[in-house]
Amino acid sequence: MPNASKSLLSYGVPALVLVAAIAVFPSLAPNPYILSSGVIVLNWAVLATAWNFVGGFTGYISLGHGALAGLGGYATGLLITKADLPSFVALIAAAVLVAALAVPIGFAALRVRGASFVIVSIALVLILLLVFQSWSSLTGGSRGLVVPRPFPGMLRPEHHRVFFFLYGGLLLIALATWWLLDRSRFGMGLKAIREDEDKAESLGTPTFAYKLTVFVISAAFTALAGGLYALWFGDLDPVFQFSVLTGSYVVLMALLGGVRNLYGPVLGAIVVGIALEYFKVEFGNTPLHLVTTGLLLGLVVMFMPDGVIPSLTTLVQRLRKREDSSIREMSAADLAEQRREREAANS
Amino acid sequence: MTLKTVGLRKAFGGVVAIDGADVEFRPGKVNALIGPNGSGKTTFFNCVTGMIKPDEGSVRFGDRDLTGKAPHVIARAGVGRTFQLCRTFPRMTAIENVLAAVRPGGIWHGLRSAHRRSETERAHHWLTRLGIEHLAGAEARNMSWGQQKLLELAGVLMAEPKTILLDEPAGGVNPALLDRIGTLVRELNAEGRTFVIVEHNMDLVMSISDHIVVFDRGRPIAAGPPAEIRADERVLGAYLGV
Repeated sequence: MPNASKSLLSYGVPALVLVAAIAVFPSLAPNPYILSSGVIVLNWAVLATAWNFVGGFTGYISLGHGALAGLGGYATGLLITKADLPSFVALIAAAVLVAALAVPIGFAALRVRGASFVIVSIALVLILLLVFQSWSSLTGGSRGLVVPRPFPGMLRPEHHRVFFFLYGGLLLIALATWWLLDRSRFGMGLKAIREDEDKAESLGTPTFAYKLTVFVISAAFTALAGGLYALWFGDLDPVFQFSVLTGSYVVLMALLGGVRNLYGPVLGAIVVGIALEYFKVEFGNTPLHLVTTGLLLGLVVMFMPDGVIPSLTTLVQRLRKREDSSIREMSAADLAEQRREREAANS
Repeated sequence: MTLKTVGLRKAFGGVVAIDGADVEFRPGKVNALIGPNGSGKTTFFNCVTGMIKPDEGSVRFGDRDLTGKAPHVIARAGVGRTFQLCRTFPRMTAIENVLAAVRPGGIWHGLRSAHRRSETERAHHWLTRLGIEHLAGAEARNMSWGQQKLLELAGVLMAEPKTILLDEPAGGVNPALLDRIGTLVRELNAEGRTFVIVEHNMDLVMSISDHIVVFDRGRPIAAGPPAEIRADERVLGAYLGV
């Protein structure tokens, strides 16, 4: 059981560091490009944390979360342009819409497990790509959809700064929600699903309802990130919004950082997000960043299947030579010995 | 509450695993379900606990019809089970394995802390009772087979079932542990829990059961107290082919 000081160290301190980093980064950023890269990295961090509601808790690996972000973006854009809603009302309404849509999507997709679920999640992206490309009367098709800016008169650097803080706030809310679920009975049920779904079911966990609920929560956060992106970037193209790559990057980030850890996906997003930006600047639009991310994913899966944070934690524990509780069978004599030691210590 | 099945039938393609089974277990007793390999015992367990939907027939627990209900509904109705190849949550600690057992409760219940004191105390109680309290912080995957079997039972007990189905509790455990499991079942039964045990170890079955149901080719061929079953020619025939 996590005791108070341990949970303060593993949750509280990183939270303070993160809040401080979000607060000071915009004033430290040397130019608007770096600031905009910060917005992109935070967008990845929210997406990866949102993905981790499903991937981390239940172990269902979705490559389709890019589609949910795309839906969030398009829904926000369309609600502004077609329904004349104010920007941020549209953003919230879009998240609610995508969450509602996640119910039938989850209902279909969560019936299958393992590799089948991965394939269904990819299919979701491809189907939506076709729909949004073809339905050009509504979505603008391949010409794209221009989303009006929420703050028309604002200069670009200030615009980046505002969105950096909006993303920062959203990330903190997502992290707080993940933390709340992690320590709850609901979270315990979700983790039991990850370990052995049939067993969890036989112990009384309504596994399907649990999976669906957490999928909807994950979809809502993903849609909020996608919607913020639409408001920030101002231009949506189906090819980028409904790309399997988005989901793949998110999975890489979460796996790299560690899916069982609250901050794992954030750490992964910072590393991979910065690397992606670097590759774009240094090597332009070559497939080199794809090769590198592929290699990175391979390395992570082979050498750090639990991600960086758990691997480092284990390393630190090993260095401290902390003794884990032994799993040797205890004889009655051992137990009596333990009892005597306890009594001696108490007296 | 009496657990019983009426005309239960389940076929996998052309193979009829359960063929119209009418079984009634004695409430408050230790019941055993025996039979040769492939006689349909585990499929019967799976139909009763909702892991498999039966083709025909019904499963009743007291006055509740549990036929075709989801496993978690059946678990919450008070029927707990272990698995033939013992199943735990490998990367969760022993205490978490026990805490993961769910009792009925609404959304608010689900959002409360999983490590609430009353719950952890209950979980520790079961670990202590089964003699694996010293492993509370160890991950299940690092535990021995016998310890995992005890852990699985602790999780089932945490859910407070009225009837507990054990699928081969003696499978792969050493004689000392076998004794302990036998004693445990007897003690837990004395506290009011009904047991249904699928088991091949006849010494254990004969020593702890009050009522034995013998399965052959997907249906019960005999039922009664151990002494009666031991002398039943149909049972000898099914087991030994004589």
